[in-house]
Amino acid sequence: MSAATLIEVEGLSKTFHIPSVRRDTVREHVFGLLEPRRWEPLRVLDDVSFELRRGETLGIMGRNGSGKSTLLRLLCGIYEPDAGRIRRHAGITPILELGVGWNPELDAIDNVYLMGTVLGLSLRDVDRSLDAILEFAELERFARLKLKHYSSGMASRLAYAIAFAAVREVLVLDEIFAVGDAGFRARCEERYRQLRAAGHTVLMVSHDPRTIGLFCDRALLLDGGRIVAEGSGVDVAARYVATLTPQG
Amino acid sequence: MPASSATGPASRPRLHADAPPRPGLTSLTPSAEVAWAGLLWTLVRTDFKARYHGTASGFLWALLKPATMFVVLVAVFSLVFSSEPTYKFDLIIGLFLWDFFSDGTKTGMTSLAVKSYLLTKARLPGWVVVVASIANALLTLVVFAAAVVTYLVVWGPSPAPRGLAAFGAYLLALASMVIGISLATSVLFLRYRDLNQVWDMATQAGFFVAPIIYPLGVIPERFHLWLFLWPPTPVMEFARGALVDGALPSWRGHLCLAAMVAVIVGSGALVYRRHAPRAVEYL
Repeated sequence: MSAATLIEVEGLSKTFHIPSVRRDTVREHVFGLLEPRRWEPLRVLDDVSFELRRGETLGIMGRNGSGKSTLLRLLCGIYEPDAGRIRRHAGITPILELGVGWNPELDAIDNVYLMGTVLGLSLRDVDRSLDAILEFAELERFARLKLKHYSSGMASRLAYAIAFAAVREVLVLDEIFAVGDAGFRARCEERYRQLRAAGHTVLMVSHDPRTIGLFCDRALLLDGGRIVAEGSGVDVAARYVATLTPQG
Repeated sequence: MPASSATGPASRPRLHADAPPRPGLTSLTPSAEVAWAGLLWTLVRTDFKARYHGTASGFLWALLKPATMFVVLVAVFSLVFSSEPTYKFDLIIGLFLWDFFSDGTKTGMTSLAVKSYLLTKARLPGWVVVVASIANALLTLVVFAAAVVTYLVVWGPSPAPRGLAAFGAYLLALASMVIGISLATSVLFLRYRDLNQVWDMATQAGFFVAPIIYPLGVIPERFHLWLFLWPPTPVMEFARGALVDGALPSWRGHLCLAAMVAVIVGSGALVYRRHAPRAVEYL
């Protein structure tokens, strides 16, 4: 490993085992003792290896079911790999499933504290960043409104604002710039550029060729859990578009 | 927020993350990734807020409920059991300790499932979520403890300082056992979604296994050992001895209680450790 490598992924594999009959309860397990189940292995990632280098933005593209989300969860330590190794040499801020994960019974401020501490901020950090988070999300007037009354766009803006405050050395982004109106997306892009300028390293997943082509120094194309192409963001985005186009 | 040519004035407040990346966070271990003490406090605080709708009166109700229940029980049992003055305290202590055990283990079991929206977003120490989940039951227990001790000190029989210290230690032992059980059941519940119903049945039967409404003396002595294997039993008996009877159990009794706590917490931690790494896949 060179000193410039922040995340090393070697031979990473992940398989989910899908049972022929799903049993979620004690009762189903007891009554099913005499009926053995078959398990169908679903290999979501297969021998994936790559490096994330300091200061770069690495894009990951792929069709639905190609293993992108599982890969992100493995990188962030939410899932455990079946085989292979992930070496992390920097702190990671995951921004996954934006807009999902709020406590709807709490207002924006309490949700900021909740999500901020989950993402690794100290209470003092949240105190210091609270006003800026609400302002970035343009939600100062609705700070005391419960999240259950928020629109999905408002919730997503809040999620981005928290994530941009909790940022560590490596940002892992799932479908960034896909929420909000044009103005908010422009601010997110601006914010992203500032983070890059401050030296942050970014790993982003997107279906949008423009995003990958515009923001990524390098990109990987996943298909069937394997890396099938690697290159510049522009090249991989073009290859991805080609895979979506029916061959004549 | 940083100045943005696209969206806003230069006077926007700035997020502190504009600073260069922090180099200290170099491993993805829970202690390094998440300031767990802050997370624990935030989980407890937000749970209370969501439960009591963030109002002062709601929180006051959380405090008043056990205190009021204590007053009602003392008043009723003083009339019903007027000929046996210590029995009412035995009964009240048994009921409140049981309530904590039952409530704490039930909420602890479902704690990870209830907080799935957090666990699937970032890696965080799940044990913090489990521990935070028993906070409400613990608050009720603490208020009850304060009420019963105050009553006994004012109206007697006043417990000795040693007895009060021992009572505090017994409460700690019970809370530890509830956490130990919850650690194991919280991860098992994700695989067996009717485990809470099984546990409901177990606690219904357990209510009568523990000497809550009957004195232990009515059970033949040869069965006592078996009754003492049910975690709430030794805590109830020891707490009654320390607070009401003024008689602390022998050092051997304390040793057995400590061993029980160690076994339950140790087993719970082992089961949790075994299943926690893949728990998120079941959410």
